[in-house]
Amino acid sequence: MSAVAPVTIAFDVMGADHGPVEIVRGAAQLTLDTPHIHALLVGDRGQIDEALKTVRHNAERVAVHHAPEFVSMHEKPNTALEAKPNASVLVAAKLVKDGEAQAMVSAGNTGAGVLACARTFTLIPGVRRAALATVYPTAVGRGAKNDPFSLILDVGATVDASADDLVAFAVMGSAYAKIISKNEAPTVALLSNGTEAQKGPSRVVEANSKLQGLPGVRFIGNVEGVDIPKGTADVVVCDGFVGNVCLKMLEGVSETVMELAKYAYKEKLLWRAGLAMLSSGIERIKEVTDWEQYGGAPILGFDRLFIKAHGRSKARAIGNAGKVAARAVSHDLANAIQGMLPKA
Amino acid sequence: MSAEREPSKPVVKRIYRWDLDKTYLQTEFDTIRQLVRTAFQKAHEKKAVPGAAALIRELKATGEAKLCIVSGSPTQMRTVLSEKLKLDGVEFDELVLKDNLRNLVRGRFKAMRGQVGYKLPVLLESRSRAPVEAEEVLFGDDAEADAFIYSLYADMVARRVSEPVVYRVLEAAEVYPDDIERVMERWKTIPEADPVRRIFINLDRLTPPAAFAHYGPRVVPIFNYFQAALVLLGDKHLNAPAVLRVMIELVQTAGYNLLTLSNSFQDLLRRGLPIGDVAQSLVEALQGPAAMFQVVRPVPDIIAAFSKRVVALGAQPAPVKSRDIDYLSLLDDARPRTHKKRRRFE
Repeated sequence: MSAVAPVTIAFDVMGADHGPVEIVRGAAQLTLDTPHIHALLVGDRGQIDEALKTVRHNAERVAVHHAPEFVSMHEKPNTALEAKPNASVLVAAKLVKDGEAQAMVSAGNTGAGVLACARTFTLIPGVRRAALATVYPTAVGRGAKNDPFSLILDVGATVDASADDLVAFAVMGSAYAKIISKNEAPTVALLSNGTEAQKGPSRVVEANSKLQGLPGVRFIGNVEGVDIPKGTADVVVCDGFVGNVCLKMLEGVSETVMELAKYAYKEKLLWRAGLAMLSSGIERIKEVTDWEQYGGAPILGFDRLFIKAHGRSKARAIGNAGKVAARAVSHDLANAIQGMLPKA
Repeated sequence: MSAEREPSKPVVKRIYRWDLDKTYLQTEFDTIRQLVRTAFQKAHEKKAVPGAAALIRELKATGEAKLCIVSGSPTQMRTVLSEKLKLDGVEFDELVLKDNLRNLVRGRFKAMRGQVGYKLPVLLESRSRAPVEAEEVLFGDDAEADAFIYSLYADMVARRVSEPVVYRVLEAAEVYPDDIERVMERWKTIPEADPVRRIFINLDRLTPPAAFAHYGPRVVPIFNYFQAALVLLGDKHLNAPAVLRVMIELVQTAGYNLLTLSNSFQDLLRRGLPIGDVAQSLVEALQGPAAMFQVVRPVPDIIAAFSKRVVALGAQPAPVKSRDIDYLSLLDDARPRTHKKRRRFE
């Protein structure tokens, strides 16, 4: 038994691309690797039992909570949650709210996850809107872990953010990076169309002014889109509309590069040879920028933590999402955020 | 094999058979270094699996019970093992150890690491001295072939398995011909009965429980001895206060808490073990006047934790039905763990 205080993570087992098996496998592995983490598996009990039967796990650290419904990927979150009060994601959120678990992880429908949190959890005093954060691989490492990922928030939870919301996002992102990336003083920047403080819409200009000299936040001013992959800032702050457009564009660029590489591989023998020679380097880049090591993206701003894992997450990513959630709980992320927010 | 003690009581209604390494003792011998360290450990340096000693004490305290230990440890360790058991307050009636020096001298190297050819004859021999009506509960682990050997033993005594099948099993397990003859002869002298009620397998290697499904519901893989105590409460081998005393030992000596205990309870429910009714007896025992239970209070928290785990599951699954075991399809399990033909679960 471990001396570290136990942390229970509620895993929404349903609705992910690979079905319940990968979620159960990831949570099961967590019970073997990290003695202080307990897994509360929420979803169809029959499917969970079936998956658990064949996978190594420590039953002392696993509990199951049956939820007879779930929200699938294609469903509209609001309508689905109205129609399915016993949906696994909602049940998981309620269990966290009731103290049966301290954080939750889901690889299901993102909108349903965010909505379930909004309906169940409470916003941290001083935070008006929650933010969905994501990590993005950059050219530089940061913090004690030499972490190549920067944090971008918000990428879709709050489409219209005010200056105060952007300040709160900056605080939340900074607190999260300190705890999860073990980065003592993460640099924080606002995403704008120029590095000058006066550039950008009025809310960004006002947020820039408020963030200057805010204690506990190492604000470095504005950055442009080009600075995201360069890793100029450890935490990049924007509203949900800009963040989402930006994220999708970055994903599109990445996919296009891969397509071009595939084309080159097929087109000419010389290009194929060149790619083959680069293969070990490409593998290394893949290792360094492997998103599965992060597990998922946090929804920040609530008194409880929700880690949204990628829909196509496999066991390893789910396990890592659980570890990230447990680390945030152990370091009392919500309190850390509240302590850093500017006093009204 | 070494000499055995005379049974301390003339009437024996229940026999509890225990393995030692990885069942009663936390033993590591996967490497040469671990093997050497284990061999030279003193009695007080040896550690019992949490809850094992408490469970044995409670089982013995019911009276009319006999504790028979059969272990693959060498006979040279008799003194240190006896001392360890004495330190833990465990009184045994039989302690049979493996005479590997004799195997070495005779050049019987397969017998040195084989389990079937050693344990099966020992079990049958012990059974031949037991009253025909004595029930048995067996304790082993997932490191070697305990589930296979214990099940085969139970079915041999009950005559649920045929001679040709036993022959084939023993041959596949690389048992020497003279030992096969010894097994068959001893088997014939044992009166037909169906004494084995449960076979507990301590999941030292955390083998998935489903790996033992072929052996039917008689074999119960367990993650800790609180689970065994709960099942034995359901089987009426223990009463609720005895189970709570096992629980207390786990809490006080191994850091178990409400979460791990209630999860262990729910795990058995999910696997269809018939322990639905034991919760009420535990509640009554907890609410009783016994002063020792003060250490695990507040009682309402304990009751709430266990109740939540029951409610969280919804409907209970139907208990698993027993069926005949096809030993020939499980021959891999009879081979030593290090045998190249043995399949892996991990």
